[in-house]
Amino acid sequence: MNQELKDLCNWAIKTAKNYGATDCKAIASKRRFVKINYLDHKPETIKEATTQSLTVEVFINNKYSNQSTPDLKKSALEKFIKRAVENTHFMDDDAFRSLPDEKYYDLSLQKDLKRLDASHQSFSATERHEIAKTLEIACIKQGGDKVISVEAGCNDYYTQQVLLNSKGFEGSKEDTQYWAGASLSAQGEGDRKPQGSHWVGACIKNDLPDLDEVGKQAANNALQLIGAKKIKTEKLPIIIANRNVGRVFRGFLNACNGQSIQQQQSFLIDKKGEKIGSDLFTVIDDPFVEKGMGSRLFDHDGLSAKKSMPLEKGVLNQYYIDWYYSRKLEVEPTSAYTSNLTIPKGTKPIEELMKELGRGVLINGFIGGNSNGTTGDFSVGINGHLFDNGELAQPIAEMNIADNHLEFWKKLVAVGNDPWKYGRWNFPSLVFEDVVVSGT
Amino acid sequence: MPEDGYFKEEFGISDELCHKLLSKAMSTGGDFADIYVEHSISNWLILEDGKVSKSYSDIKLGVGIRTVKDQQVGYGFTQDLTEESMLSAAATAATLVNEVGKTVDNNFKLLNQNSFYPITDSDLDVSMTTKLPLVIKVNEKCFVLSDKVIKVTAGLHDKLKRIMVVTSDGTKAEDIQPDNYLFASVTAKDGDKTERSFHNLGGRHEFSYYTPEVAEAVAEKAVSKVLNLFEAKQPPTGEMPVVLGPGITGILLHEAIGHGMEADFNRKETSTYSTMLGKQVAEPFVNIIDDATNLNQLGAINVDDEGTPGKKTMLVENGILTSYLHDKISAKYYGVEPTGNGRRESFEHFPLPRMRNTYMLGANSTVEDIIKSAKNGIYVEGVSNGQVKIGEGDFAFYVSEGRMIEDGKLTAPIKDVNIMGNGPKMLANITMAANDLLMNDGGAGMCGKGGQGVLVSFGMPTCLVKSMTVGGTDQKGGRS
Repeated sequence: MNQELKDLCNWAIKTAKNYGATDCKAIASKRRFVKINYLDHKPETIKEATTQSLTVEVFINNKYSNQSTPDLKKSALEKFIKRAVENTHFMDDDAFRSLPDEKYYDLSLQKDLKRLDASHQSFSATERHEIAKTLEIACIKQGGDKVISVEAGCNDYYTQQVLLNSKGFEGSKEDTQYWAGASLSAQGEGDRKPQGSHWVGACIKNDLPDLDEVGKQAANNALQLIGAKKIKTEKLPIIIANRNVGRVFRGFLNACNGQSIQQQQSFLIDKKGEKIGSDLFTVIDDPFVEKGMGSRLFDHDGLSAKKSMPLEKGVLNQYYIDWYYSRKLEVEPTSAYTSNLTIPKGTKPIEELMKELGRGVLINGFIGGNSNGTTGDFSVGINGHLFDNGELAQPIAEMNIADNHLEFWKKLVAVGNDPWKYGRWNFPSLVFEDVVVSGT
Repeated sequence: MPEDGYFKEEFGISDELCHKLLSKAMSTGGDFADIYVEHSISNWLILEDGKVSKSYSDIKLGVGIRTVKDQQVGYGFTQDLTEESMLSAAATAATLVNEVGKTVDNNFKLLNQNSFYPITDSDLDVSMTTKLPLVIKVNEKCFVLSDKVIKVTAGLHDKLKRIMVVTSDGTKAEDIQPDNYLFASVTAKDGDKTERSFHNLGGRHEFSYYTPEVAEAVAEKAVSKVLNLFEAKQPPTGEMPVVLGPGITGILLHEAIGHGMEADFNRKETSTYSTMLGKQVAEPFVNIIDDATNLNQLGAINVDDEGTPGKKTMLVENGILTSYLHDKISAKYYGVEPTGNGRRESFEHFPLPRMRNTYMLGANSTVEDIIKSAKNGIYVEGVSNGQVKIGEGDFAFYVSEGRMIEDGKLTAPIKDVNIMGNGPKMLANITMAANDLLMNDGGAGMCGKGGQGVLVSFGMPTCLVKSMTVGGTDQKGGRS
């Protein structure tokens, strides 16, 4: 635990109590990051900084407020905390506002999640430039004579955070993250200049995939959009490519959170324990995955992390409920947010799934759209490919899919063998049947 | 509101210190450098379940220093406002270049600015006792308006952002930029159906804008929206005429043309519009403007984030594509004056060409004729979630509120549909417009680009787009 940040949190809690707070939580963090972006074989942007912040949550009995500041000078903080406490007095008493009970803190939970790359300290500017150059060269080579421009870059972060509260919770995090990727603008038909990109992330630098392949994939993602057009509206099976599944799932997940449930704004109210998806709709939330980008030992409330299965064979097992809304709903808290999510992978690659389906749409990207958390209706623009006789037949654009989550996940009929590996949500490609794909 | 001296008085950032920082940023031979200092305080006050029990505040304070060479950018920033730390940020910015250093004049001229969002001294620190009655009023009014209302979240957001820009070419500008809105999120139940709506009013207003009448107007619109949803259905899917109602539907311009006209995409030749400047892209009655000067609008700026005064830019004049939206880098590249579109989210970001308030002027058709001409299609009143693919020009936006047009008449309410189009095609397809331009009166318009959000607004007269793709679930008829 970073002692400087711990001391700052302890001081902030003590100061808040001196001014009249009955309880207090403090989160202090520091982050160092570097971002490099290349265009036309030279750096287009270089950005580097260290950021810092202190967030103080003040409780005066059941009154509550939350403040954050980057100005960590003690003289400025003293005034900041004094004002925070003063403002809290104006709030209404809310019987549900409190720090979590001590029984939800498991201070003995100690596990090295291996999210800190010891080599980060020696990660040099030269290495960063080499990563960007490698990505750019691979992307340009793959793009061939279709290239209008290529941008490539890498970002890296080193973050330290300490969370303390006046009920005795102490937690800390220290991790690194690396992101690398490229994007290519290609000459399409007429004035169309389709752009494709590919970015990957990992906590440990050596876990990033081969950079040549990342650059090539970025180019391929652009090239495959050349010649895209609208096709006739049709009810078809769709395959959502692995890295895009999260976009649709997020609409479902938003209806799972405690606030949506308690405020009666969720299409999932009273659905816990019910089958709302096909047998293939299983989601595992595992905060203890080593080197996982969503791994953690505790959440913002200080609640100890737990492995769970929010969806099992289509049955909704769990909402995402923080401490405050758990009290309002009179249920046990889980957490306000997910950690590492997986959907168990299938056995077949996309190519084989297309062959089995014969005709359908492979979705490689979404644009615009929305998901109504109250009704479950969603509607979103898509791009990708029409496939016919099991082969890619026509790139498509300016098209749309729409459905209702309570029906959509029942249409999940197959799962690919290709879970996305480079983010918090590691979903494979998914196949849904009978979806209206709107075009002309 | 322009001002002078805040950052020197509060944080000791004097002209002499700025000169030191700029000299360091130019020490390796950049074309120009600038300093952006920000101190902003954001507040949220939230009422839920009848209790004002959530209050959030967030302070941003920091300095960003940029060195520019041709189209390359070096950028460092710090939240530690000591001379040592700021010099280190300037040195980071300077690592971009490796040439002979350039000197910087120690004579900064304060920019003579307009004021497109006047505020008073009392706006600088609004008390909780002034804010609380507003959210309470919104909540109470919502429940009075309909017994179908079961839950209300009411809230008030207010922010004051103080900025200072000092450039190596001798410009200095300071500004206070307010943004604020009052909102209601209403959930209602009718039988076994539950619906939710959201409405807000706001912009860059003096706090005195927020009267009990404004609070009532927020509640009335939010409740009216949610009750309409019980009658709403999804329209048939496919290509059809779309009539855009006046106001927030200007988001379509923002996506269909605005982003594609941001000059960074064009100098990189990645925009579908990069070969269209000077060409006829729409009917002669189509005039589209991006404007920093609309009083109290969310996208108004007295000065942009690299020291160029706020001004008005014609994107399309009489149907002809007229100008890109420039920051200093693209203006130099194209050999034109900056248009004042160099904007950034905060000191943590360097500026990019960004829109401000984007709108289309009205023309001579009547609303009645426009709806009649559409014959069978949809009428769009409320929209959100716009997005565009710059290179292809394909865009999408989500219709939260609207009506069917059947046999030339407005009929049933519609909801939850996404509309897809292509920017250049859509411009060419605007066939009628009425003389009823309305600017959006909301205060929560945020545009994202390159990982940065900036405040923008939109405006639109009623107009007819003769064909766009409406996404739905039913190939034949509507679904309730």
